[in-house]
Amino acid sequence: METLGALSILLAFCLAIYSVLGSVVGALRHKPYLTKSAERAVYGIFFLLTVASGILVYALLTSDFRLAYVAARSNRAMPAVYKFAAWWGGQEGSLLLWSWLLSFYSAIVVFTNRRKLRDMMPWVLTVLMVTQVFFLTLNAFVEPPFQVLAVGKGVTAVADGQGLNPLLQYWTMAIHPPTLYLGYVGFIVPFAFAFGSLMTRQPGDAWIHTTRRWSLITWGFQSIGILLGAGWAYAVLGWGGYWGWDPVENASLLPWITATAFLHSVMMQEKKGMMKVWNMVLISATFFLCIFGTFLTRSGIVSSVHAFAQSSLGNWFVGFLAIGMTITTVLILRRLDYLRSEAHLESVLSRESSFLFNNLILLASCFAVLWGTMFPVITEAIMGEKVTVGAPFFNKVNIPIGLFLLFLTGVGPLIAWRRSSWESLKRAFLWPTISFAVTVAALVAFGVRHFYALVSLGLCAFVTCTIVMEFWKGSRAIAIKNKLNMLMAAIELTHRNTRRYGGYLVHMGIVLMFIGFTGAAFNRDTTREVKLGDDFQLGPYQFHVKEVADGDNPNYIWQHAVIGVSKGGTFLQDLMPERRVYKASEQPTSEVAIRRRLNEDVYLNFAGMSQTEADRAIIQVYLFPLVTWIWIGFVVLMGGTLVCLIPSKVKYSYPKTEVVGAYAKEPVAQ
Amino acid sequence: MPRNPWRSRLLLAGLLAFTLAHGATPLTNQRVRQLGEMLHCMCGCNSSVTSCNMINCHFADPVRHKLLTLVEQGASDKDIFAEMETAYGKAILRQPPSEGFYLMGWVMPFAGLAAGLGVIVLIIRFYLGRRPAVAAAGAAPEDSPELARYKERIEKDLANLDS
Repeated sequence: METLGALSILLAFCLAIYSVLGSVVGALRHKPYLTKSAERAVYGIFFLLTVASGILVYALLTSDFRLAYVAARSNRAMPAVYKFAAWWGGQEGSLLLWSWLLSFYSAIVVFTNRRKLRDMMPWVLTVLMVTQVFFLTLNAFVEPPFQVLAVGKGVTAVADGQGLNPLLQYWTMAIHPPTLYLGYVGFIVPFAFAFGSLMTRQPGDAWIHTTRRWSLITWGFQSIGILLGAGWAYAVLGWGGYWGWDPVENASLLPWITATAFLHSVMMQEKKGMMKVWNMVLISATFFLCIFGTFLTRSGIVSSVHAFAQSSLGNWFVGFLAIGMTITTVLILRRLDYLRSEAHLESVLSRESSFLFNNLILLASCFAVLWGTMFPVITEAIMGEKVTVGAPFFNKVNIPIGLFLLFLTGVGPLIAWRRSSWESLKRAFLWPTISFAVTVAALVAFGVRHFYALVSLGLCAFVTCTIVMEFWKGSRAIAIKNKLNMLMAAIELTHRNTRRYGGYLVHMGIVLMFIGFTGAAFNRDTTREVKLGDDFQLGPYQFHVKEVADGDNPNYIWQHAVIGVSKGGTFLQDLMPERRVYKASEQPTSEVAIRRRLNEDVYLNFAGMSQTEADRAIIQVYLFPLVTWIWIGFVVLMGGTLVCLIPSKVKYSYPKTEVVGAYAKEPVAQ
Repeated sequence: MPRNPWRSRLLLAGLLAFTLAHGATPLTNQRVRQLGEMLHCMCGCNSSVTSCNMINCHFADPVRHKLLTLVEQGASDKDIFAEMETAYGKAILRQPPSEGFYLMGWVMPFAGLAAGLGVIVLIIRFYLGRRPAVAAAGAAPEDSPELARYKERIEKDLANLDS
């Protein structure tokens, strides 16, 4: 079986090379049969990589410990779902998943465009398959997943495997990596179409129309992946944080930020024919940041709890990035003539300008995160001493940038395309500004003095007001005209322009998430050594340590504390934070107990029994106000993304800005 | 149930009762927790000394005890950080020191923002400069009443129904 798996990867590698050559030669020599043949090779690659992946998963599920990968990433006692998840639990398997997803995406691209964009497709395929060749090189020759354990000349097997890292044996971790990969890999597609557009000198927006849904779906997957990771960190790592600014976490955020900028600025190109070069740069940056993120995870260049073991993969990625970025930069520079703007900016006070600022702030945030992530490498190279920066640095730098971005989220819808007059701006800003002021005043009256929290919650009110106003204005008009109630009118309004109103829902999700982030300003915690049967208090809550119990199962041994939680003398519930030690790896983990509520989470971690007094349990208690709004905001964000994907009922056409009236005789400078 | 309960019991005794709590005790001190948040755990977890979740962490546990000792001796935050830097180097700090080259760590994100702002200003000036020359000359001929009405209508529609 393992031979068949390895052979499948090798054949897929050969087919990918053939597909690249067939596409390039077919495009240059105008040989449609060769191009078609190259496209069909993609289906072959998908089939072969499905076979290879299937064999690896089968080996994991059946505990075939002759394979080194299976022995290192699973053990017999692991539940089947985690055995399956071990596919992406290690370097070799996750690289195979990368290749398999890319082959899946490539097959979809080829199938959906089999009769469209015939001149562009060979170049699209070239980008997809060059990337595939790169990853299959790693799969076939550098980190092969089908290596067998061997003693002397004979294949052998160990009695049991070492098991998957216990921290990864959690439900969100079982789906977090594949969703994140769906995002990482997916961004190759819009980049490939952008590249194809440049190669075929297409001045139009064909690549944008083709990849609009791709970009949004991919962005959605990336968002899901990031949030699942945050949820995992919150529930598993035992300190209540959902974002630690770890280099690998940052690596997933970087392409998400540039993709967000792209999703905004692409509207400028669709509606105004502007920022074509910029959009090329953004989608290219997003793709290369995806590769860079994979490089960070796998090269060991920066230390991270999420990183795979150090390996020699780094040099391969550096080479791929250097070659890819050089080719793309040269191509963009050589095609500047085809990327000229079709319109001009009429006023600084316009939505066009607000998009420019939105892009600036997003990219500033991206740069700040990248700078902090790479700072250890820079300091080591220049000063000879590695200085790793953590949450205190990232929070100080990114909080003001994030708040400004939140402000722009509210400002954007208030400013009209082309130009706004001061009078209309005053009218548009009136209620949002009042909302901001009232919210801040109310919070101050309730004793809130934290500056960033006041600004953040005030801005949340500001943005919410703009979104409500947008829905209210449109829904009211429809309700009057069509005699509908406001709810039905709002649904009708959204259906008429799903991208616009879905986008507002996404913004609302971001607002809710900011409310959750702001709650961190009011976190409280304590760590106590408590005698069994004793009580202690944090904030309005009383905690009664009832008992400590232990036990075991085939996978791990455990010890938990039973803690009664009360508030104002009223018993709420028992919580049972637990410690586990996994038998295969002898690695401990904490299973925190969380009482989730909209106003705050009560979060308990059982750190173990005291060293000095055996009847004392060490309990860490955290109160996290508003944190649940992060997860609610995420659901709203995903709902908004799905709405954006629904075709609008009314097909809007957006003619580029035309010069009318007396100015019409003046030629627009090109 | 396990096939060998005695083995499991021994594991329990060995791995839980004996090892679990080591290093957690100093964290009952609030100031140790605050100071630990500003120090990097160098065990590879990439967390802070306070947040490191590894039981018996070879790095976080001794540092927590050291922090507790220094706190109990009445040392100031500045002295404690200096002591930590002497013992473990700058790598233990979770934010760059505000001195020399390390100042770049703080400056660069905002310098990048400022540079971006400069680029935006240039882009806006570039696009504004591409407006028809007549507008710049300030001598736009009067529109006919009909055209003016249409333009006004267009302005209203764009203001209300843009997207």
